[in-house]
Amino acid sequence: MIKETIVGARSLLTGMKVTFLNAFKKPVTSQYPRERIEMSEAYRNVIVLVEKDDVGSHDCIDCGMCERVCPSFCIKVEGERPEGMKRKRATRFEVDFALCSECGLCLDVCPTDTLGYSREFDQAGYGRNDFLYDLLVPYREREETVRTTLRAAEAEAAAAKKAAAAAKAAAKKAADETGEGDDS
Amino acid sequence: MTDFPQIFGGHWPAVLAATAAIMGFITVNALALIWLERKVSARIQRRYGPTEVGPFGLLQTLMDVVKLVGKELITPDHVHKTLYLIAPVLVFAPLLALLSLIPIDEGWVFHDYDIALVLLLAFSSLNIIGIFAAGWGSNNKYALLGAVRAVAQNISYEIPLLLAVIPIVLMTRSLSLYEIASAQGSYPFVLVQPLAALIYFIAGTAETNRAPFDIPEAESELVAGFHTEYSGMRFGVFFLAEFTHMVIICSVATILFLGGWNGPLLPGWLWFFLKVYSLILVMMWFRWTFPRLRFDQLMSLAWMILVPLALVNLLATTVLIKLL
Amino acid sequence: MTDTIELVPDASDPETYFLNMGPQHPSTHGVLRIRLHLEGERILAADPIIGYGHRAHEKMAENRDYLQFLPNSSRIDYLSGMIYNLAYCQAIEHALELEVPERAQIIRIICGELNRISSHLLWLGTFVLDLGGFTPFLYGFDDREKILDILDSITGSRLTYCYGRFGGVTMDVDDVFLRRTADFCDYFKTRLSEYHELVTGNVIYQHRTKNVGVIGTELIQDYALSGPVLRAAGVAQDVRKDEPYGGYERFDFDVPIGERGGDCFDRHTVRMEEMVQSMRIIEQALACIPEGPIMAPKAPKRFRPPAGDYYFAVESARGHFGIFITSDGSDVPVRNKLRTPSFVNVSTMPIVLPGTMLADTVAVLGSIDIVVPEIDR
Repeated sequence: MIKETIVGARSLLTGMKVTFLNAFKKPVTSQYPRERIEMSEAYRNVIVLVEKDDVGSHDCIDCGMCERVCPSFCIKVEGERPEGMKRKRATRFEVDFALCSECGLCLDVCPTDTLGYSREFDQAGYGRNDFLYDLLVPYREREETVRTTLRAAEAEAAAAKKAAAAAKAAAKKAADETGEGDDS
Repeated sequence: MTDFPQIFGGHWPAVLAATAAIMGFITVNALALIWLERKVSARIQRRYGPTEVGPFGLLQTLMDVVKLVGKELITPDHVHKTLYLIAPVLVFAPLLALLSLIPIDEGWVFHDYDIALVLLLAFSSLNIIGIFAAGWGSNNKYALLGAVRAVAQNISYEIPLLLAVIPIVLMTRSLSLYEIASAQGSYPFVLVQPLAALIYFIAGTAETNRAPFDIPEAESELVAGFHTEYSGMRFGVFFLAEFTHMVIICSVATILFLGGWNGPLLPGWLWFFLKVYSLILVMMWFRWTFPRLRFDQLMSLAWMILVPLALVNLLATTVLIKLL
Repeated sequence: MTDTIELVPDASDPETYFLNMGPQHPSTHGVLRIRLHLEGERILAADPIIGYGHRAHEKMAENRDYLQFLPNSSRIDYLSGMIYNLAYCQAIEHALELEVPERAQIIRIICGELNRISSHLLWLGTFVLDLGGFTPFLYGFDDREKILDILDSITGSRLTYCYGRFGGVTMDVDDVFLRRTADFCDYFKTRLSEYHELVTGNVIYQHRTKNVGVIGTELIQDYALSGPVLRAAGVAQDVRKDEPYGGYERFDFDVPIGERGGDCFDRHTVRMEEMVQSMRIIEQALACIPEGPIMAPKAPKRFRPPAGDYYFAVESARGHFGIFITSDGSDVPVRNKLRTPSFVNVSTMPIVLPGTMLADTVAVLGSIDIVVPEIDR
C-alpha cells in the first residue's frame, strides 16, 4: 500500500518533468500568415490545362473522358471541330471545385496529357459560384492563332502523307513495270 | 493589531475604498491569471498562446471580458428563477469577503481577526451552496450531476484541509493569519510539516475544482458540469470565483507553510505575491499534465489516503509538541 | 445471446433516470448517440443509436464504376484513409487477378504502416483528452504532422488519399521520401518513451483504465471482434499474419496481445506496442525496396471483374476491414459491402457498459477506438 503510493507519486513527478521540459522547447506552431511553411512538391489543388509546346496552347480535344470518369461530376467540357481541322478543340471547360474530391482520375485518363494540377491554396469565396473555375481563361486570346497554326500543321501533315503515299504508289508501279519487263 | 484605520465606526469612505481596492485586485488578478494559464498551457503544449492582442497577448483577457459582457444573458425557460439567478452571487460573494482577511506584509491587512483562519475556512465552504444552487436550479440532468459531484467532492476534501491546518495552529497557538505568518520569521513551516503542506495543497486543489479534480466541470463527460446553462457574464462570474478561490487557497498555503511575507532582500509584499503565484503556477502545471480522477477514486483518495495521513500527522505533531 | 436488449428495466422507478449522451457530445468521437439508463452514477443499461453519419457509400458504389469509387474508399474511415484506399485497390486486383509489381507493394506497405502509426497517435491523444489530460493530444498531433508531411510529399494529400490505382500506385517515391521515413522512425522511438512516461506510467491514468471495460474472450466469438480490442483480450489474431496480403508475408513482426484480460489498459498497451511493430515493418521495408515499375504493365483500361462474389480483408488500425463485391461482369458492381470493424466493436456496448460508472463510459468508448463515419458508412 505504501509502496503503491510511492510508485504512484513518483509517476506523477515523472509526468510533471516531461511537461516541464516540453514547456521550454520552441513551439511548433507556424504563425500563419506571417510565417509560411513550404508547400510540399506534390501539393495539388484544382486542375488546370497545361500548355503543350507543340501546340502553343492547351491540347484539350473534347474527348469527354475526364467528364465521364469524374466521380463527383464536376467537370463540364464542350468543344467544336473548327473548319478545316480534323481535331476538335474545347470551347468550354468548367470545373466546379466545390465538388472536386482531388482524386486525380481525370489526369489519369486524359489522352493528350493536357490536364495538370495547380498550386493554389488561399481560395475563399462568398458564394458557391465562386468556385466555378473556367480553365480556358488563359488560352482564349490566342485560340484563333493556335487554330491557324494547327490547321497549317494538319494540312502539311496531310500533304506530306499524300506525297508519301504517291511516292510509295509510284515506287510500287515502277517495281511492277520492271517486274513485268523482267517476265516478258 | 495594526495601524490601519478601523473599518467599522461609520467610516464609510474607507469601507468603499477598501471594497474598491479588493474588487480591483480581484479583477486584475483574474485577468493576469487567465492570461498566465493560457500562456502556460500553450507552452506546455508546444504552441504560442495569445500573441496578437497587446504585447505578448496581455490584453487578450480584457477583450474576452468585453466580449463576455456583451453577450446576451439568456435565462432558459424551465429554470428555477430564484436559484438560477442567485447562484453566481452565492458562489462569488463569500470569496470577496475573504480577501480582506489576508495579510500581505507586516502591517498590511484590512482587518485582523484573531480567528481569521476559522473564518476563512468557513467562508470558503459557503461557495458549495452556490454551486449546488446552480446545478439544481438549472433543471438540467448534466448540471445536476455536476453539482452533486461538486458538493460531495468539496465536503469530502474539507476534512483533510482542516486536519492539515490544525498542526500549524497547534504549533503557533494562534488562529490569526497575521500571527502565524509573523511566527515564521526564521524558517517556513513547510520544513517541519511537509506532509501537512502536501495534504493541504492537494485538498486545496480539490476544493477549487481544478484538475485533476475537475470532475464537476468535466468538459468531456458532462458538457460543462454545473454551469452548463450559464452563458455570458454569469458564466464569467463563475470563472472569476474559481480564480479568486485559487488565489485564496494559495495565499493561505503561503501564510501557513511558506512564511507569508518573510524573505531576504525583497520587500515583504513582493515575496508574498511571488510565493502565491508560484503555487498557482504549480496548480496550473498539475492541470495540464494529469488526467482527471474518476469520482469514486477521488472520494477514496480523500477518505482512504488523505484523512488517515492527516490524522497520523496530527497525532505525531501533538506528541512531538508535548515532548518538546 | 439475447436477441433484444432489455433497455428499461423499470421505467417507473424514481431512483433511475435516462441520460442521453447525445449525437453532439465532446467525447463520442463523432455523431454517436448512446441512451443510458442510470441509477446515480451507475449504468444499468446502454443503447447506442447509430445512423447520424450515414453517407450512403455502399449505395454510391452501385452508381459508380469501380474506378470512380476510389475517392470514396478513403473517406469511409478517414483516419486510416490510406489503408482503406489501398485495401479497395487490392480487393479489385484480387477480383481481376492482377499482379502488382514488387516496388508498388513495398510502397503500399510503408504508406499503410505510416497511416497506422498516425491513427494510433490520434487515438492516444483523444483518449487521454477524454480522460482529462489535455497535453498528450497536442504532442501526438505534432508527431502526426511529421507523418502527414511525409505522405503529403508523395501523394499531395494529408488525410484522404487517392493514391492507389488498380495495379499499383500513382506516384513513385524518391530517396528523399525514404530518408525522411527512416528519420521519422528514429525520432519517434525517443518520443515513445516520453509518451510512456507521461501517460502509461501515470498512476491516475492507470487507475482510470485498469479493470475498466473488460471485453474478454467470451464476447469475442459472439460479436466477431477484431483489431486491438481482440488482441487485448489475449487472442493473437491479425489479418496480416493469418491471411497475408500485399507482401506482408515477407516481413517479420510480432502481434502484441494483452495480458490482463482485455481492459482499457490492455488496449492501450496493445496499440502502443503495435506502433513499435509498425516501425519494425517500415524499417524492414525500407531496407528491401527494389527498383522497378510502380504500375502493372498490363493493367486493363476497363475494369470488369468476372461475375461472382469476391471478398478481401485487410487489417486496418481498428481491426478487420473487409470488402465484399458482387459483380455481374459489368463496369458497375451490383453490391459493394463494407465490413467495418467499428460497427462490430461498438455493438458490444450494451453488454460491456452496464455496471460501470458514467465516467467509465467515456473511457470504454475511447479505448475501443471507434470512428463513427465508419459505423454508419
